[in-house]
Amino acid sequence: MSDNNKSVVDIDRSVYDIKDVENEQDFYRMEDGFTEDIVRKISEEKHDPDWMREFRLKSLEIYNKLEMPDWGPDTDELDMNLISSYVRSKSDMKGKWEDVPEDIKNTFERLGIPEAERESLAGVGAQYDSELVYHNVKDEVAAQGVIYTDMESALTGEYADMVHEYFMKLVPPTDHKYAALHGAVWSGGSFVYVPKGVKVDIPLQSYFRLNAAGAGQFEHTLIIVDEGADLHFIEGCSAPKYNVANLHAGCVELFVKKNARLRYSTIENWSKNMYNLNTKRALVEEGARMEWVSGSFGSHTSYLYPMTILKGDHSAMEYTGITFAGKGQNLDTGAKVVHQGEYTSSLISTKSISKSGGIGTYRSSVIINKEAKHAKTSVSCDSLMLDSISRADTIPGMDIRTNDADVGHEAKIGRISDEAVFYLMSRGLSEEDARAMIVSGFANPVSKELPLEYAVEMNNLIKLEMSGG
Amino acid sequence: MNSVLKVNHLPALTYRFLKSNDSEIEIKDFNVKVVNTPEPENIPSAVTFKNDVTEKDITELFADINEKIASKRIGLPGPNGDTSLLNESQTVKTGMGAEIDNLMKEMNVPVSLITAEEGYKVEEPVVISYALNDGDYVLGNQVIHAKKNSEITVIMEYDSEAESNGFLGVQTRLLAEEGAKINLVKVQMLGEKITHFEDIGGVCDTDADIETINMQLGAGKTWGGCRVTLLGDSSVFNNHTGYLCRHKQSYDMNYVADQMGKKTQSNMVFRGVLLDEAEKTFRGTLDFKSGSAGSVGDEQEDTLLLSPDVINRTVPVILCEEEDVDGRHGASIGQLGDDTLFYMESRGIDEETAKKLMIRARMESIARMIPDEALIIRIQQFIRTIL
Repeated sequence: MSDNNKSVVDIDRSVYDIKDVENEQDFYRMEDGFTEDIVRKISEEKHDPDWMREFRLKSLEIYNKLEMPDWGPDTDELDMNLISSYVRSKSDMKGKWEDVPEDIKNTFERLGIPEAERESLAGVGAQYDSELVYHNVKDEVAAQGVIYTDMESALTGEYADMVHEYFMKLVPPTDHKYAALHGAVWSGGSFVYVPKGVKVDIPLQSYFRLNAAGAGQFEHTLIIVDEGADLHFIEGCSAPKYNVANLHAGCVELFVKKNARLRYSTIENWSKNMYNLNTKRALVEEGARMEWVSGSFGSHTSYLYPMTILKGDHSAMEYTGITFAGKGQNLDTGAKVVHQGEYTSSLISTKSISKSGGIGTYRSSVIINKEAKHAKTSVSCDSLMLDSISRADTIPGMDIRTNDADVGHEAKIGRISDEAVFYLMSRGLSEEDARAMIVSGFANPVSKELPLEYAVEMNNLIKLEMSGG
Repeated sequence: MNSVLKVNHLPALTYRFLKSNDSEIEIKDFNVKVVNTPEPENIPSAVTFKNDVTEKDITELFADINEKIASKRIGLPGPNGDTSLLNESQTVKTGMGAEIDNLMKEMNVPVSLITAEEGYKVEEPVVISYALNDGDYVLGNQVIHAKKNSEITVIMEYDSEAESNGFLGVQTRLLAEEGAKINLVKVQMLGEKITHFEDIGGVCDTDADIETINMQLGAGKTWGGCRVTLLGDSSVFNNHTGYLCRHKQSYDMNYVADQMGKKTQSNMVFRGVLLDEAEKTFRGTLDFKSGSAGSVGDEQEDTLLLSPDVINRTVPVILCEEEDVDGRHGASIGQLGDDTLFYMESRGIDEETAKKLMIRARMESIARMIPDEALIIRIQQFIRTIL
């Protein structure tokens, strides 16, 4: 029976792997490595205000002092001297799709981004390498006062003070080595502000494409959902595969104000030469709610643990995630939550699939502070092993500092049960269909949390084809 | 002697801010009393007790089984943050790790060997009692060897006067040969001014079984580690730990079921109560190694928090490099449920009494498994006294 499990094949990623040649005429590429000179050049390129230039230099200093964590996947093969921190098209950001350069446009057309915008999005941002190439928000959403723009415009435009107030306050450069690197060389990303009481009915989406070989992408996403407002933000990521390492060290900072709600969905499908060392964090105030939906399919190596700080009383978070670790992948993912306010609640539910030598690690932390009376948390992590050459590990940690908390945790590791396959076969399904159905069922708690078209994309990503025994 | 021992390494490291990757025992002004393991009052027939064993003898005793362990390792990459190399030098992998071995060697602590002869199922327990006097700094070291198809029960008790100062560190290593069974019971009822560590490491060959019951009820600071390697097919490890920490007591533990053989079973239960400003760190790992097809593992933790000032850290880990296994972990941490309290109060039991009842019920659910009625009564008395 176990041999049949090998019939679960790798994801078909041909559409993501199409490479577009970047020539010198159309693209500007910063020399490789991370030095003070390079940081100054990036700052100059981006016409940073003084405070941002100083911030970058300070972050670089911190980066040089900090060490890599000793607890995660190995990053020895990531040679930082061979990574270019900044690659951009010589074309400016466009507000109309037809003005985007042809080759870049083709890439996004293949990925279905404009189609999604037409059909189901309130606004779209598309980043190609280090800069946004397209940003647009529907008129009716803009009319509600919703701001959705690229970070660079926000930094120098009318929201400059707001950016200054919030930028890297939630994820300070001292947080870890790659947060510091991000602070030094960040480029691109989106700024979103949803005014008080505004409910954005359909999602906003940013799509990040890293096309250049040996490059890093360091986009910064800053979202402020003001009191009583409601937003669903979707983030998609992909890159073609190269033989050299690429690096993604983005940073997402989310501020969810009193009684607001933010849902942040991610479908991450970086190529398998990508080191995805991304940091995401949300600060949730009184009565507010943060929802994370996360699908991790790509990358060579991932460190990804969206963190939620439940600061306000009665604030809540929910994290639903799936990770698929295939051949050559070491995906270390999970979630972190800190309960600070009273009557806060968190629900973490994750699924992990390991196959063909992939390493899938679920890692989490739940901290309930002394003041967080009546806090409730429930953590559930399930791992599915599809063969005996892979790894599936779960390493959850909890630190509870009050007796007035209700903590539940459960973890399971197992295989596709022969009994379940037998049962489905006895109902007329072929063995491969039975296995596919079981794996789909396993992933269902995540896909059902996504809008239909993204659930379809996710299901395509985990296109688990079954061959006959 | 002054030193700091790094012990209880989590098999796979995690975030540093959780402060759970390992623990440190600070040893100050440590004038160790090198003593033999207290000789049991009764040594049942088919059991031998030797106090003149060297560490070299122990290495030889475990040579064959260690060769089998080495032959089963197939060089797959370990988990992210793998710490296994830190304890590579140990003759028998223990929960607390190599620095306890080093301490024992450095202090020339004599090793006692308790052996159950082949084919004998010894019903009468071997009882070893450490009674600490004020100012005693004691280290002890035993190996329990159950030969093929034998069974042995060893009960180890640690007592002192309530006001005694001191230190007691004990390492117990276990070898259960094919078809053998070792029942190890440890009951710690030391005074609160005593620092204590309890390090256990065991190996099970085919169809062998190690059962441990661990009750930690006293001592100011306690470290406990237990690692059992289920080497042989169909081998079993069952553990039941009960602990009660109050005032400023702390308990730092690290349990590992290392499942290597086919169809192995591990079942670890931890039931504890934290009162006042007590602090506890629990690390529990089910480690399904490649080749452990058909194995199952379960760890369940149930912690009752009865004060707003307690600190509870829990890191339940499952590591898995084998497809055909079933591993589970469950944890329930919190205060007495409203329903339970309401039920008690509706029967005329006030909240304080209800809490005491629940504490005793939890501790006694573990204590009742001990095959020594007199000891169970002493445990009940001890709990009643301290509450």
